[in-house]
Amino acid sequence: MTIELIRPGRHQETAEARPLVGRDCGPEGCEIDWLASERHEAGLDIEDFTAFAAAQGWGDGLPLVPPTESRVRRFLAENDRYPDEVVATLPGEIDCTIEKLVINAVMAGAPPHSLELLVAMVAAVADPDFELYGVNATTAPVYPAFVVNGPIRDELPVPYGYGCLGGVPGPAAAVGRALRLVMRNIAGQVAGVSSQTTFGSPGRVAGIVTGEWEEKSPWAPLAERRAGICGNAVTAFGTMGTQNVLDTTSHSARDFLEMVGKSAAYVGCNAFSGAVPFAEMLVALNPICAEIVGREMADIADVQECLWRFASVDAGELNLHHRAQLEAQGRVRGDGRVYATPEPKDMLVFVAGGLGGLHATCFHSFGTSLTQTRAIAQVA
Amino acid sequence: MTTGFVLDPTACRATDNASPGPDAGVLAGKRIGFRVDRMWRAWDWISEQWADTFRAAGAEVSFWRSAGRSGTEGEQCEAEYAAFLKTIDVAVVGLANCGSCTGWTIRDAITAANAGLPTVAVATRNFEVFAHEMARRGGRSGLRVHVLPYPLNEQLREDVLAIGEAHFSGMLGTMGARLAAKELAA
Repeated sequence: MTIELIRPGRHQETAEARPLVGRDCGPEGCEIDWLASERHEAGLDIEDFTAFAAAQGWGDGLPLVPPTESRVRRFLAENDRYPDEVVATLPGEIDCTIEKLVINAVMAGAPPHSLELLVAMVAAVADPDFELYGVNATTAPVYPAFVVNGPIRDELPVPYGYGCLGGVPGPAAAVGRALRLVMRNIAGQVAGVSSQTTFGSPGRVAGIVTGEWEEKSPWAPLAERRAGICGNAVTAFGTMGTQNVLDTTSHSARDFLEMVGKSAAYVGCNAFSGAVPFAEMLVALNPICAEIVGREMADIADVQECLWRFASVDAGELNLHHRAQLEAQGRVRGDGRVYATPEPKDMLVFVAGGLGGLHATCFHSFGTSLTQTRAIAQVA
Repeated sequence: MTTGFVLDPTACRATDNASPGPDAGVLAGKRIGFRVDRMWRAWDWISEQWADTFRAAGAEVSFWRSAGRSGTEGEQCEAEYAAFLKTIDVAVVGLANCGSCTGWTIRDAITAANAGLPTVAVATRNFEVFAHEMARRGGRSGLRVHVLPYPLNEQLREDVLAIGEAHFSGMLGTMGARLAAKELAA
């Protein structure tokens, strides 16, 4: 066999959002009840509703905001979407409509002006190449991590500096949680029922919604490099979690990238699984490190190439059975090494994090799930 | 307690086919297709063992191996599988022995069943309930699932083959199959 390269499927373009009802009369001008979801009588105090939702299997264990009709209508009124619009079809051929997305966003506490970001996030993970079917079902702890580009980072806001991967106050956690509730309530990712995740992950509660610190990056924004999108966009990466890399010694671009690449390449990660023919990897470089690397490597392709060379393992040091599996896939190269990704371009890089530097974060992918980037529509 | 009405945040599939699909019937003279994967050597061993028995009974056997399901490879995989299904009369689909591989096993089994083929999915015990849940979510709640012991892949080849032999007749029963017409008459 030869090494299998990563090439996106031909379906790539996101399908147009489909309405379920004709548009000859608008929400104000006709008799249609635009909110089609079943109504349930429930206690409206946070405590009562959270208990009710838990009994229904709707929640994540944290307090939930009751999605009353008035809250859902208020959320919709601040946007420009019909509630019956189908945003994406999720595993099980289940349509995720704007209405369902908004109900879950209300429950999570996400703000109305996050809707277009959420629409793009759902569309991204629904792409067949993201393999949400496998992401949902797997024993792995995988969850989508989202990297946001464009002015929306400051408008929402989405953090891209200190603590951007989690822990910063602001709406990003609620936006991430809204996506997680969609994954649970619509896409069917319920641990022990429709998901076999062995350990799960803290990321399965509120996910990761981070921005890229574009202004500190020596390279073009991630979404522009990946999809030619200048402006608001979101990139979804199915990650097994975050892996911290501490580097207090390096001085040069090569040294930093060697530390990151070698740290990322551990034999038990998804990229070296004998069951996985190919994988991607995502790396977050902090702004201090990025500046040093960028001075020596103005072309991001050089950064990816350098990372890729170091993100490899010596096949001779692998367990015999493991090596045999990788050999059967043709993944042991002429230099006796197995590389984490098929090509340097599959090592994805973005810049984020605080100015204290010292740390990088590696994200390992799941199975053959492929990263997706989508533009975020402008609210009229 | 202040009560009121809240909107349901869930969505589910509107349709379900609860039929198990047609029985496989007499297998002699039929073309039996195994769907295997890249993960489970135990399933390779058992499917080869069962294939030998099918061939001895006068059936033709072919194999299709699932690979990556994303990108151009995934699209090729889907097309190859659709073509494979057109070359067989009965589908034996496995192995549901982890989370995602149960998902894909059941999805591929549903594709075969929806194509009108007598179909059986093969799962290990730990993933039996999950396999049925995935079949329900996939709109074929009645999908036939034959269950092998768990753990399976961790066992030695001779132990796995003993399990395969012990489960062969049970698997036939799940498929609604007989090896030969005379066996049916008997």
